[in-house]
Amino acid sequence: MTIRILIADDHPVVRRGLKSLIGERAGWEVIAEAVDGEEAVEIADQLSPDVVVLDVTMPRMHGLEACRLIRQSLPNCEVLMVTQHDSPQMMREALLCGAKGYVVKSNAPRDLLAAVEAVSQHKNFVARAPETRGSN
Amino acid sequence: MKLRILIADDHEVVRRGLCTLLQSHEGWEICGEATDGRTAVEKARQLKPDVIILDIGMPNLNGLAATRQLVQQDPLCKVIVLTITDSDQVIREALDAGARGFVLKSDAARDLVTAVEALQRNRMFFTPRVNDMVLNGFLGRGSNGSSHAPQLPQLTPREREVIQLLAEGKSSKEVASSLNLSTKTAETHRSNIMRKLGLHSIRDVVVYAVKNNIIQVQLPQLTITGDDPAAST
Repeated sequence: MTIRILIADDHPVVRRGLKSLIGERAGWEVIAEAVDGEEAVEIADQLSPDVVVLDVTMPRMHGLEACRLIRQSLPNCEVLMVTQHDSPQMMREALLCGAKGYVVKSNAPRDLLAAVEAVSQHKNFVARAPETRGSN
Repeated sequence: MKLRILIADDHEVVRRGLCTLLQSHEGWEICGEATDGRTAVEKARQLKPDVIILDIGMPNLNGLAATRQLVQQDPLCKVIVLTITDSDQVIREALDAGARGFVLKSDAARDLVTAVEALQRNRMFFTPRVNDMVLNGFLGRGSNGSSHAPQLPQLTPREREVIQLLAEGKSSKEVASSLNLSTKTAETHRSNIMRKLGLHSIRDVVVYAVKNNIIQVQLPQLTITGDDPAAST
């Protein structure tokens, strides 16, 4: 079964890069892209993706708020935060908002595919946990 | 003959995005990629690309310092800098370093192809804000009309390399290793930098480096959710 993925990032170049990375995996499909948090919430509501790959710092609506809203309205949709912020505090905030995964962009080539795989199976994936690493 | 482009950015996600953007243009090819400024300078020497696209905020050697070295190596080289900020200082430094193009990362999808086309025709490409600054003759005076000498030129090119590495968290020994210096020389540079700039700790060095765009950071915006974690899942 195809895993349907929504990508949300305000930088088109980053969206292209994420799409290129994700598109390499058979059975995964990027069904849409969003340019900010508000659009991510709207598109998620319309298309019910399996996974939303969400940047944190976006205009109009912050990624953490978008994550919270998406998780509230679509409990089966998992959110993977992909961000440049290598911050334990930010990661905790993301998890509190309902994100299942947190990946730092500088580590994206190494962690992104494993993270999407894990969260699509409703498993946690955090790449910057102080005590743990990887999926559980 | 294809236009050969070298891309340098420390994030693979961004490099992939730039590659797919540029390779879709007929007649262009990506001849190489680099993850930091030092590698970019070395690859440019080997590959002799027609256009070089450099992220400003790279580790080891940032895009501005790399631009200076590239232009020194080949005064005819065509460099486009990519940056997350278009502050006066960054613009001034990019132009002083010899960049012929200046593109904001947030607008790269819209502007980068146009920028490369311009450089291909031996023209320059800058964002409108930079054009305004150049037209207003900022190279001769600051934005408030008075002459402005930025702090950074107090440092030698080598000192600028050292301060970036220190701000990235490297010890003097690691700085020495990165720059093929003795540890003693690296420590001398460190002392000189701190004395010249009146800095007293590595924390001061980091703050200085961020303020002067030697390293670029985008500060996280944290929110207090106030939600019961159990209720959000």
